[in-house]
Amino acid sequence: MLSFFLPLFLVFLFLGLPVFFGLLAAPGLLLWAAGMERDVTLLYRNVYNGMDSFPLMAIPFFMLAGELMNRSGITMRLVEFSQALIGHLRGGLAHVNVMSSMLFAGLSGSAVADVSALGSMLIPAMEKQGYKKKFAAAITAASAIIGPIIPPSGIMIIYAYVMGESVAALFLAGIVPGIMIGGGLMLVIWLMADKYDLPRATRKATWGERGKASLHAFWPLLTPVIILGGILGGVMTPTEAAAVAAGYALFVAIFILRSMTWRDIPDVLVRSGITSAVVLLLVGAAMAFKTVAALARTPEQMAGFFLTLSDNPLVLLVLLNLLLFIVGMFLDAGPAIIILGPILGPVFLELGVHPVHFAIIMAVNLTVGLLTPPMGLVLFVTSSVSGLKVETISKAILPFLAVEVVVIFLLTYIPALTLTIPRLFGFIN
Amino acid sequence: MGALVGIARLIAVVNASLLFAGRWLGAACIGFMVAFILAQVFFRYVLGNALAWPEEASRFLMLWSAGLMIGTAWRRGGLVAIDMLAILLPRMIRHILTLALLGLSMLILWKGLQIGLKEVTGISGRFATDSLSVPVSLDLSEWKKIPKAWMMSSMVVGLGMMLAVGVELMLREVITLLGGADDLPAISETVSLGNE
Repeated sequence: MLSFFLPLFLVFLFLGLPVFFGLLAAPGLLLWAAGMERDVTLLYRNVYNGMDSFPLMAIPFFMLAGELMNRSGITMRLVEFSQALIGHLRGGLAHVNVMSSMLFAGLSGSAVADVSALGSMLIPAMEKQGYKKKFAAAITAASAIIGPIIPPSGIMIIYAYVMGESVAALFLAGIVPGIMIGGGLMLVIWLMADKYDLPRATRKATWGERGKASLHAFWPLLTPVIILGGILGGVMTPTEAAAVAAGYALFVAIFILRSMTWRDIPDVLVRSGITSAVVLLLVGAAMAFKTVAALARTPEQMAGFFLTLSDNPLVLLVLLNLLLFIVGMFLDAGPAIIILGPILGPVFLELGVHPVHFAIIMAVNLTVGLLTPPMGLVLFVTSSVSGLKVETISKAILPFLAVEVVVIFLLTYIPALTLTIPRLFGFIN
Repeated sequence: MGALVGIARLIAVVNASLLFAGRWLGAACIGFMVAFILAQVFFRYVLGNALAWPEEASRFLMLWSAGLMIGTAWRRGGLVAIDMLAILLPRMIRHILTLALLGLSMLILWKGLQIGLKEVTGISGRFATDSLSVPVSLDLSEWKKIPKAWMMSSMVVGLGMMLAVGVELMLREVITLLGGADDLPAISETVSLGNE
C-alpha cells in the first residue's frame, strides 16, 4: 500500500497542496489508512530530527548574510567594480551584468536575491544606455541563476544534508559550472553585440579608476574568500563559515560602509528567518519522505523503470536531464531537489554516476528551471522588477537559455568539469 | 455573512498579534544563533578553548525560530506550491478546491499537534539536553539541565500557530466563496516586524 505514496504525492502537488503538506500527507494518510499509527509517529519524529541539525543551520546564516549584503549597498560596489574592468566593451553593461552576477553569487547563493538586487539597478541603467528593455531583463534573469551554482549555495547545502554529501565538495564542484554559464552568456553577448548593435561605453576606465573601484569592492569581495578559505582550510565547518559570513556582512554594512544602522537589523533578521523557516520545515518533511521512500523501495522501483527504458547510462542521463528540465518548469530548485534527490539519487549512483557529479547535474538543471515558464520564479521576479510581461522576457531569454542547456549537457557528459576541483582539494576520491 | 466576517476579523487580529510576537522572538533567536556560533569560533580558534554549549544552544534557537516564524510564512502564501491548476479552474471550483486542500492541511497539522504534544510530555521529552542548563537559584549556584521537551515544544508551537493561521485562511476562503472578499482585512505582503 505504501508504494502508492509517490503517485498520491504527485496528485496532491498537482492539485496545489503546498509541498510541505504534500510530503507528509501522502505517506501519512496511507500509513493511517493501513492502521500503522505508530509509523505516523515515526514520520513526525523524522521531521523533527531532520530539522534538528547543526549542518542545516548554515541555511539561515547564509540567508542572513545574503540579506545583509543586499540591503547594505554592496551590490552597487560590485557593479562599479565590474564596470571599471569590462564596461568599455561593446555590450559593456550586459557583460557587467553577467560579471556582477558571478561576483554576487560568491556572496549570496540565491538567484532571486541576485535578480532583485542587480535587476533594479542594471535594467534601468541598460535601458538608459540604449539597450532594449527586454534584452536587459533577459540577461539579468539568465545570469541570476549563477547565484545558487557558484558557492556559497543554499541548494547545495540542502542537497548535501538530504543526501549525506560533503558541502565543501559540492561548493567546489559548483565553481566551474558557474564560470561556464557566465562565460557562455558573455560569449552570446559578444556574438550578439555587432548583429544587434549593442551600445558601447563612451570611454575606457583609467587604471586609477579601476584601482579605486577595486578598493571599494574589496570588503564585499573578501566574503567568498572567508567562506571558502575557512571551509577548505579546515578552520571552520560550513555552518561556522556561514555564521562568520553573516557576522562579517553585518560588520561591513554597519562599521565600514555605514550603509545600514542597527535599526535596520530586526527587519533583516525577520526576512531571513521567515525564508529559513520554510526551508527548514521542507527539509524536515523531506527527511521523513526519504525514509518512507526507502521503506517503500521506491528507488529500486524507479531503477527498474529507468532500466526498462534503456540500459545505457548515457541515454538515461539524457532522460534524467529532460525530466529535471520539465520538473524545473513547475517547481523551485530547492523543493525539487528535496523531492527528487532521495528518489533518483540511488538509481543513478547505482549506474555508476559519481554522487557529486549527480548533485551538480540536478542543481544546475533545476536552477535553469527557474527561468522556464510556467513556474519560473526568477522570470516572475524579473518581470516584477522590470515591469515587462513574463512572456516577453521568456522569448528574449531564449538565446541565453540555449547556452545554459548546452552547459548542462557538457556538465552531464564530461564529469571532469565538476569533479576536478573537489578532487584536487582532496574532498572526493 | 456579517457574523462570519466579524469572526474572521477577530481571528485576523489575534493571529496578527501572535505572529507579530513570533516574528520578534524568532528574529531574536536568529540574532543569538549568529552570536553563539561566532563565540564558538572565537573561543575555539582564538582562545584555544572549545565551548560545549553554543552548538546545542544554536540548534535550540534554530528550531524555535522556525516554529515561531512558519505561521507568518504560511499566512503570507510563503509555502511553496504549484498553484497552476487553481488558476485555470473556474472561480467557484477553485475556491472549493482551495478549501479542500486547506482542510487536508489542517488535518495534517492537527494530527501533528496531537503527536507533538504526546512527544513533549512523553519519555523522550524528559531526557535532558547534553549541554544546556538554567540557573535554579538566585545566586546562580545551582543549575538544572534543560529537558529536551523545551526544545521539542518549538515544533508544537509552530504547528499550533499554523493551525490558527489555517482556521483564518479557511474562513477567508469561505467568505470569499460567498462573495464577501471585499469586507476582509488585507494580509500584508510586506515582511517586517511592524507590518501585518
